[in-house]
Amino acid sequence: MAVSTPDAPAAGDAGAPPPGQYSGGQHDGRNRDDGGNRGGGRHGGGDHGDGDHGGGRRWRRHGHRGHGGTGGPVGGRSPLSSFAGHAVLAVLSVACVFPICWMYATSLRRPGDIYDTSLLPWPLSIGSYRHAADVIPIGQMLVNTFVVASLTALGQLLTGLLAAYAFTAWRFRGQRLLYLLFVGTWLVPFQVTMVSNYTLLFRLGLLNTLAGVVIPTLCTALGVLLLRQHMESFPKEVLEAARIDGRSSWSTLWTVVVPNLRPALAALGIVLFINAWNEYFWPSMVLQQANSMIQLGLRGFLGGTEGNDWGGIMAASGLACLPIFGLYLVLQRHIVNAFVHSGLK
Amino acid sequence: MSRIQVEGLTKRFGEVAAIDRVSLDISHGDFLVLLGPSGCGKSTLLRMIAGLIEPSGGRVLLDGRDVTFAPPRERDMAMVFQSYALYPHLTVERNIGFPLRSRRRPRAEIRQKVREVAELLDLAELLGRRPRELSGGQRQRVAVGRALVRDPGAFLMDEPLSNLDAKLRTATRGQLRALHRTLGSTIVYVTHDQVEAMTMATRVALLNAGRLEQVGTPTDVYDEPASVFVAGFLGSPAMNLIPARIESRAGRVQVLAPGVELPLWAAGDQPAREVTLGVRPEHLVLLPPASSSPASQPASQPASQPVPVPASPVFRGVVETVENLGGEEVAQCAVGGARLLARGPRPLGLRPGEPVAFDVPADRVHLFDRASGRRLVWQPASGGLPRERDHDHDSAAAAVAGAPGQVLDASTV
Repeated sequence: MAVSTPDAPAAGDAGAPPPGQYSGGQHDGRNRDDGGNRGGGRHGGGDHGDGDHGGGRRWRRHGHRGHGGTGGPVGGRSPLSSFAGHAVLAVLSVACVFPICWMYATSLRRPGDIYDTSLLPWPLSIGSYRHAADVIPIGQMLVNTFVVASLTALGQLLTGLLAAYAFTAWRFRGQRLLYLLFVGTWLVPFQVTMVSNYTLLFRLGLLNTLAGVVIPTLCTALGVLLLRQHMESFPKEVLEAARIDGRSSWSTLWTVVVPNLRPALAALGIVLFINAWNEYFWPSMVLQQANSMIQLGLRGFLGGTEGNDWGGIMAASGLACLPIFGLYLVLQRHIVNAFVHSGLK
Repeated sequence: MSRIQVEGLTKRFGEVAAIDRVSLDISHGDFLVLLGPSGCGKSTLLRMIAGLIEPSGGRVLLDGRDVTFAPPRERDMAMVFQSYALYPHLTVERNIGFPLRSRRRPRAEIRQKVREVAELLDLAELLGRRPRELSGGQRQRVAVGRALVRDPGAFLMDEPLSNLDAKLRTATRGQLRALHRTLGSTIVYVTHDQVEAMTMATRVALLNAGRLEQVGTPTDVYDEPASVFVAGFLGSPAMNLIPARIESRAGRVQVLAPGVELPLWAAGDQPAREVTLGVRPEHLVLLPPASSSPASQPASQPASQPVPVPASPVFRGVVETVENLGGEEVAQCAVGGARLLARGPRPLGLRPGEPVAFDVPADRVHLFDRASGRRLVWQPASGGLPRERDHDHDSAAAAVAGAPGQVLDASTV
């Protein structure tokens, strides 16, 4: 460790548990940059205990970091950059959260107070929700959207699972090319395939049906890609053991691969479900009548002779967001993992 | 119990032949160890026998039935993998019972069999655990249990002990040997560890670069290595291999190299021939310094039977280093341009920098053809020169009158 003050190591030793590998390395680099006298500060847990070892300067720094209360890697930054980082994060989170708060606030105002700008609506009213429910069949729409999103996610999971398994478990001629083509579909913009898909649905008589929304989206390169990565990291010898133990390929998939990929499948399923839930463009093409999915229902409140119906929009949007929020509350950890692993959004 | 025959089996990956025309006959109850350095193709061979890899040529016969392209489940063989390949999501009990569930056996029977195997392997306490909660040795036993529960025709094992620590490995070696004795089943076992091969095998098959070098009992392959490769692979430290020449000189046929003078037999004309001279470190007999008298042989060499000591020592050199192995010492000496290792009980009484002289009993000398690397055998009856054992290779040209008592390796002919 690059420590330049003689008392710093002692201070460091006085600190409670040693820092992890990751933070330790980071601190070392930081120490060299600062020219030292910061050795004691690296142990978040030891800040208060080693106060009598150090001079005033070090103590001040400790105090500062103590208030920060962040610990871990952040504790190693200089207070200034730490503060700046937090400020940026705070601004960003307000920017993200404020519209959602405003949406719920507006939806809960009395219809007469819609243009009120107070942060908290008072008195509360569910008038906008009643109004929205009068204008569109909101319950039916939520159910439809849920069905479509679930079927899409399940279908994409299934096709992704089968394709990824084929790519992993077997070696066949043209495998690389086929895989490239699969991945390549990701690069083709939706707008390119949209018209041909639409024509096909028209010929099949599936326009204006939920099936028409689901079927063309049943296979996604994202699912194949991610599941293949997970399967590649699954030990080959276990698959071979299953073959030796008398399982067919099909049976190996369901009794060995799927049970072990459950976390990955769950994470991917969530991402696919959220994607499908948020999809607007494709359903709006396939479904001509407005009262089929919640995304399209929102459209009805926009424009019109009296301008935008803000109360209705906010109420319906608030309801449309609820299932995703609920999902997030229950599966928070999985969702974060899923996004981190998929490298999306 | 099964008999496994491998006929001319070949596996090519692109242009490279991982396994090149290997033929083996593994009979009922054999414990055959496939031994070789990493990358020699031994695992590939095992996987072809198991049916996990399709061969590019040749056949695999199981009890006379051609199973070359049959899927693994039609072969009735169980396999233990190097990584154990336990199913991470299943408990020990379900891991062991997995092959039986694949065969849709009644539940009661599965339970009964799993219990029996668990008792045998001392796993009864662990049946409810998952693989990640087990130690390395326990995982290894579960993997063996999963193979045992099927009562298979043959066991295939791919370096099953390489992930265990040294002590556990020794213990498990003993257990596997005992298991083989009680079951009497055919076992094909892959390893790169010669100790495992020597201690467990009934037969050893040595592979090098996809080719079979030699098949035989552990004693055979150690005492009569068929090639330079086998000689250099087995033994710790391995056999000393010194480039030399067979020549007639002073009325004797001799093996000559700088610092080496090994008389073979008194004879007439012998065309010169390039050979590799092989002597195991433990077979070198240390001669007392500055003395050519045969009377005062040191008692430090265990392997030395009373042999006629030649007038002059076979090897002359200088000691470079002496390694202490605890019970024994290994001396590294420079002989001519070559390096000679000698092994014997401690202390050898050698110090670095001192000159040293060794003799070697005639029946401990191995000769190999330099070009082909194959073992040369002298046939005393016909009075022939050392000739190669493989008849497809060119054999030695001239015949020499053999002198009795100087038989190099009569037992092998």
